[in-house]
This record gives sequence, structure tokens and C-alpha cells, in this order.
Amino acid sequence: MRAVAFLALKDLRLLLRDRAAAFFTFVFPLAIALFFGYVFSGTSSEPLHVAAFVEQASPAAAMLMKALDEDGGFKVAVIDSRDAGEQLVRRGDAVALLVVPSTYAEGLDGVFSGGGAKLGLVVDPSRRAEGAMLVGKIHEVAFRTVFAAIGDPAQFARVLDRMEESLKASDLSFTDRLAIRTALSRARTMSAKGADSSSTTKTQSIADWKPVTVEIAELSMRPGVPANSFAISFMQGIAWALFGAVLSFGSGIAEERQRGTLVRLLVSPMSPNQILMGKALACFVTCLVTEWMLICFGVFLFRVEVSSWPLMVAVTLVTAFGFSGIMMLLAAGFRTQGGAQGAGRAVLLVLAMIGGGTVPIVFMPPFLRIASNLSPFKWAVMAAEGATWRSWGMSEMLIPLAVLAAIGVFGLTVGTALVRRSI
Amino acid sequence: MICARDIRKSFGPIHAVDGVTFEVNAGEIFGLLGPNGAGKSTAIALCTGQIAPDSGSIDIGDAGSPRAARARALIGLAPQQIALYDELTARENLIFLARVHGMPNPPHRADELLDMVGLLPRARDRVGTFSGGMQRRLNLAAALVHNPTAIFLDEPTAGVDPQSRTAILDVVIRLAAEGRAVIYTTHYMEEAQRICSRVAIMDRGRVLAIGTVPELVATHGGESVVTVDSVAGQHCVRTREPLREIERALAEGGATAVRIEQPDLEMVFLTLTGRRLRD
Repeated sequence: MRAVAFLALKDLRLLLRDRAAAFFTFVFPLAIALFFGYVFSGTSSEPLHVAAFVEQASPAAAMLMKALDEDGGFKVAVIDSRDAGEQLVRRGDAVALLVVPSTYAEGLDGVFSGGGAKLGLVVDPSRRAEGAMLVGKIHEVAFRTVFAAIGDPAQFARVLDRMEESLKASDLSFTDRLAIRTALSRARTMSAKGADSSSTTKTQSIADWKPVTVEIAELSMRPGVPANSFAISFMQGIAWALFGAVLSFGSGIAEERQRGTLVRLLVSPMSPNQILMGKALACFVTCLVTEWMLICFGVFLFRVEVSSWPLMVAVTLVTAFGFSGIMMLLAAGFRTQGGAQGAGRAVLLVLAMIGGGTVPIVFMPPFLRIASNLSPFKWAVMAAEGATWRSWGMSEMLIPLAVLAAIGVFGLTVGTALVRRSI
Repeated sequence: MICARDIRKSFGPIHAVDGVTFEVNAGEIFGLLGPNGAGKSTAIALCTGQIAPDSGSIDIGDAGSPRAARARALIGLAPQQIALYDELTARENLIFLARVHGMPNPPHRADELLDMVGLLPRARDRVGTFSGGMQRRLNLAAALVHNPTAIFLDEPTAGVDPQSRTAILDVVIRLAAEGRAVIYTTHYMEEAQRICSRVAIMDRGRVLAIGTVPELVATHGGESVVTVDSVAGQHCVRTREPLREIERALAEGGATAVRIEQPDLEMVFLTLTGRRLRD
């Protein structure tokens, strides 16, 4: 067994020394995951797509929506329900869902008297930066709308009424109350006269004051719905990681044969079975390492959520086993390195593409989804999705894991027998 | 140490090895010579257990068939093709092979062998950067990582410079002196003549002749050519007793110069295998 481990270690070292092979095994899948993740999440210089749900229509809410829409930085889609809005965010069609609560208009009335308007914002956790930008924009727009509202004499009169009521209830000294009441009286007079020159000065002097409070909530993951686009793209990346590993090691036997080292190994005390097991072990380890590399990247940097860690461990082990079997079948089929790599690329590329490597399975048209059943990559991606956003239990996971295990057993037994015959 | 008895191996209608028998003792360098396609490489593949014979038997010391793991531990093979990992360093190649063979302290063994073949200063360089001669020397070292007692060297000096060739031949002589049995194939007759204790000449899967170099020359080398230059002109005589012919020429008088062309292993080889090109 030690000899098998040494053989596997040697193959891993050779893989790392081959820059192209190492790139396609370790870096390319990550690049694919990031590329598709960003593509699906719609990051661009275009206006931010925001879903907005207004709980209760009011002139103030309408004014906010209009102001947001007129601001070049936003593209607002007003939707009917909070659920529909969250769905848009999950799918990556919107950066965030702005919730305008029914108390918004009332809150604006108390904007200078200890109350204030509140807005809710549900953001995609993977797009926090855009979320933060959005909050700033909302403050800016809200500021303008509040002062626009104040510009309306009737609205401003209501604001002043609320402030005077608050003043009565306060425990301020007589002198302070008198001073404030005088100021409110002057403000009422100025508003009635349509005072405009002084408002600019006032606006600037209270630049730090925020007329609305934005309460931010990160979108929680729901079973069966990906929390963000990276939850899909990192599972896609697993398909490419497996592709790279199988291709690298599938030509390993042919490479040993061509460089003459197979003869040396065959003359060593290792049995042919041990030599093949060494190859399979190297492929198994590489599959596992690349799978976990992607999972860790996804979880720690892109908020991909794993619904069950034990299932994820099982998925990665069985997937690595299954693809080690595929590697052995590839090794059995071709006597030359060029043959194994050429045919491997042609066959595996198609299987990876229809198996969710390019178009995610969830977005596939029905006929392609049926065809993808033929691809082992589909079962690997499905199983990985099952342990993440699909939140599958053991019973749902059974079929993909059984398929992958069966592929592994078939590939390793048949492939090993065929390779043994050829060496 | 290495004993092949009436081994036969066919690939379809081709009899690659057809009833070959030989024995190589400890401390002996046994040359296996023959034109391309003679069956030398197949014979080595059979003796190293890479393939099984159709009939006949091969024993490696007391360990029996070379296909048994115990016997394989005694076999060291330097294949004709450089069989090394280009992407690994010289040291990493030897350490890996030493580990596969279960040798204690592989790094130390690797350094020993690198020193033996004069590659210790380049131990940490990748094999892909080595010259042909350096790769050949490392290929030989790789065959010796597990201290084998039956060593098979398949054209170990093919395409190397005179310095590397001399280094390789010195190592081979040293291995035999340490009591190992060495089977050595080559196309360089002068090499075989220089280092081999005994030689077998193969063609078309059969051993045509076997013996020490002087024995083979005496039996198959043909006659010596004695050339006598005299005032009367040049006179060539083919004879099995050149000294007697020289004595006779000197006794007759008038000889100004005498040259002897004695048969060598190359002559034996060509006599036995013919001069027709083999492609």
C-alpha cells in the first residue's frame, strides 16, 4: 500500500510540475466558477436593478419611487409581493429588494420630531458592495424627497404640527420652548411665503442628518433556491475540476508507457494492479482537492451555503471515486498519450457541457435536462447542489450518489482489467 | 544467477525468441549481441518478467520465475529507452524508485547512486534539462536503486559521448566485480569485446553462438590476413596460423614490412549474421 501511495504522490508532483495541467486542474475550474458567478449575478456598469415592494401606496412612497427611477443609478421594478421581490434577488435579476413599509408616509411626518421614516432593504449576501452603494443612493434620494415634501406647504404644515405637539410633551425649559416655538412660527411663515433662498443653506447645514433609516437584511437561503448565483457557478466549477483531473490522469498510463517508465514500474516489486491503483489514487486525491478548493472558495468568499456538511463529504468522496473510474476507462481505451488526451477532451467536454458545466442544470430546457442524465458530470453537479442550495436529504441524494458509485465500480473494474490486458 | 532454458515467445506468426538457452553467473558480464530484430529485447523482456514465455523456463537466482515478486526484487533493468520522469529532479527520480522498492533511507541511497554515476552536482536539476549522456547515466543509476543482483542493461551507451560511455562502462565493470550478474546488449562490438566475459550472438530469435570472445573469434572469426611488403611487391595470405606465415616470409627474405589483420568480434558477428541490411 505504501508503494501505491508513493506512486500517487509522484503523479501529483508531476501534475503540479506541469503548468498547463495544473492550470486546467486547479485554476480553470475556479475561473469558470467566478466567471459564470459574475455573469449570472449581472455585475456591470449598468444601472442597478432594484426590486421595490410598496406595502401601502402613498404620495410619499410614490415620490420615493419616482425619485429612485429618475436617478440614473437605478432601474426600479415595482413588484406586487415581497416573495416575488426576494425571488428576483435570488435569481440575480435584482441587486436588492427595497421594501417601503406602510408606515413610511407617517414616518416622514415625524421626521423632525424624533420619529422618522424607515425603509427595508433585502440584499443578496454575495453582492454586499452593491448593496452598500444602494444604501447610500437611497439616503441621497430620500433626503431629496423629504425636502421636496417639505417644499409642499400642506405637508410642511403637518410636519410643523407634529413638532409642536412633541414640544408640548417635552420637558424643556420655558426659555428653550419659547425659542423653538418662535423658530417654528417663522418657518411656518416662510413656508407660506414660499421661501426658497434659505432652504438651500439649511439643507447644507444638516448634511449629516439622515431623513430615513434603512434597515438591511441579507437574503436568507431557502431550500430549493440558490442563495446567489455563485451557489450555482461553484457547483458548475466542480464539473470542470473533475474534467481537468480525469484528463490529466486518464493519459497517465499511456504517458508512462511512452516515456518507458511503465517498464521500470512493471519490473519493480509492484503488481500491475498496484500500479493502476496508484494512478486511481492520484486521480481520486486530485478530484477531492479541487472539489474542496471550490467549496471552500464558495463558502468563505462568496457565501455559498452548505446545507449538510456530512452529505457534502459523502458527495465529494463518491464523486471522486466515480471519476477515478472514468479516468481508468479513459486510460484503458488508448495506448498513446495523444490519443487519450484527444479523445478524452472530445468526449469529456461534451459530457461536461451537457452535464451542467456551461448551462446550469436549473436553466436547461427540458430536452437537454433529459439528455444530461447520460453525463456523469450532471450527477456530480446535482449531488453537489443537493448538499448546498437544494438542501437534499439522504433519500434524495441516494440516486446521484448511487449512479456515481456505480460508475466508479464499473470504471475501476473494467478499466483495470482492460489496462492490465494492454500492459 | 540468471538461467534461461529453451525459452520461446511468439507474436502471431513471428517467433521472436525461439528456443534460447543461456546461463549467466554472478560476477559475469554476459553480452547479448545481434542485429535489429534479432530477439534481444524480447529475451530481456522475458528474463525481467515483463512478458511470460510461451514455453521454457527462466530462473533468477533462488527466487525462481522473474514474474514472482521475490525475483523482481533481485532484477535491475536499464531499458534501452530513457525511462525517467523529465519533470522530476535526478534525486527525486531515484528517491521515488527507491521508495517503490521499499529501500531504507531513499534519499541517502539516491545520493550514493548519483555520486557513483557522477551526477551528484546536478542532483537537484530536472532530468529534462540533462544532456543525453547524463540521462543515460541516470537511467543506469535508476536500475540500481534497490541493489539488484541480476542486472539487465539494454544498450546503455546508445548515443552518448566518449566520456559518458567510459563512465558507464566503468560502472558496469564495477558491478560485475561486486559479484552481480550483468546481461548487456549493445551494437558496439568493441564495447562487448572490452567488457564481456562471455557473449551470445542472436539472430532471428535463436542463439547462433555463445562463448568467450577469444573462443568465438577462434571458431567463427575466420582466418587472419598477413600482408607482406617486399621489393617484389605486396603479398596477402589468409591463414589460421599468421605467425607461421610471418616466419616463412622473413625466412624467404626481402620483406620490408609485415601487417597482420586478426579477426575480431565484429567479424564474428558479420560472419554469423551476414552482411545484408536489416531494417
